[in-house]
Amino acid sequence: MQAQLICFPRVYISPVSVALSTLMSGPNGDDMPSDSQNMFFVMLVVFPMSIVVCVQLALHVFGDLLDSIIVDVASECHRIVRLGLERNLDEEEEELRLSAQARARIADPSNNVEANGKYVVDIFGQTHPPVANEIFDCMNCGRSIMAGRFAPHLEKCMGKGRKARLKATRSSTAAQNRYSRGSPVSTYSPYSSTASINRLSNGNPRVATGECSNGTVEEP
Amino acid sequence: MSTKPVFHKTNKSHPWRASIKRPPTPDAEEDQDREPTLQEIINIKLIESGEKEKLKELLRERLIECGWRDEMKALCRAFTRKKGRDNVTVDDLVRVITPKGRASVPDSVKAELLQRIRAFLQTAAL
Repeated sequence: MQAQLICFPRVYISPVSVALSTLMSGPNGDDMPSDSQNMFFVMLVVFPMSIVVCVQLALHVFGDLLDSIIVDVASECHRIVRLGLERNLDEEEEELRLSAQARARIADPSNNVEANGKYVVDIFGQTHPPVANEIFDCMNCGRSIMAGRFAPHLEKCMGKGRKARLKATRSSTAAQNRYSRGSPVSTYSPYSSTASINRLSNGNPRVATGECSNGTVEEP
Repeated sequence: MSTKPVFHKTNKSHPWRASIKRPPTPDAEEDQDREPTLQEIINIKLIESGEKEKLKELLRERLIECGWRDEMKALCRAFTRKKGRDNVTVDDLVRVITPKGRASVPDSVKAELLQRIRAFLQTAAL
């Protein structure tokens, strides 16, 4: 073919796309020489020469690019194999490795399903600790509470439990009554304190902080 | 020191290169009147403008994204398993990969590359 300047007028853009798609969805989809020659003559009937040549050129260039990429991939695989960097070359090795992995997964205590109840891996691969550990402030007493311990805390804080109810009665009558240390009602019952000053049986004003003032901590 | 009047490029002189077979270097063209074909001209224009490198990088990236490269590597591994690690040559692998590789390029990738090449041809030929 002689060297020529070929003009590609813009009006031919869509026929070129049609020509390209015809060629791409051809019988084989590849560019063996005999097939491309046949396609050439077939398409010459329908499309002008310039388009057919353009399409052929494009396909040839594409084939060149693809060939060089194929050689790259092949030579890289060859290198990996010959240098012994490919771990899974033997079938048996692969099987052994997979079975060892499975065994390790079963034996791993951190993945144990029965022992910890909630500490299990769900289908998204997430694990959830047995006690919810987000921390926020109790709206009743203002302390920082862990979410998983909020219900027991509320029991004591709001008056469902024995000690909280005692605290409520005690604080309402503390101003009027003196009660002895020997009473079954424990004078040192730990209370979830407020920031205000509370009076105890011995009359000492105490500033209540987050911790119980007698040193025992209410929260487990 | 032995003198070698002619240097013969054979595979036997370099044992580690036994896996690559190259065609012998062609002699200088006696026939200087051969006109370059259109394909050669376009090829030269592609290379000189740097467009060929860009197209090759684009094609490589697309083929990696769509998993084509991993498929080819799996084919290589399967072939190597059959043939034995030390008997594999690059030519073997190329021969194994080429038919499947050419056929399994996704249509979208092929269309995109052909579009870019066509655009280059339009600008280069004017």
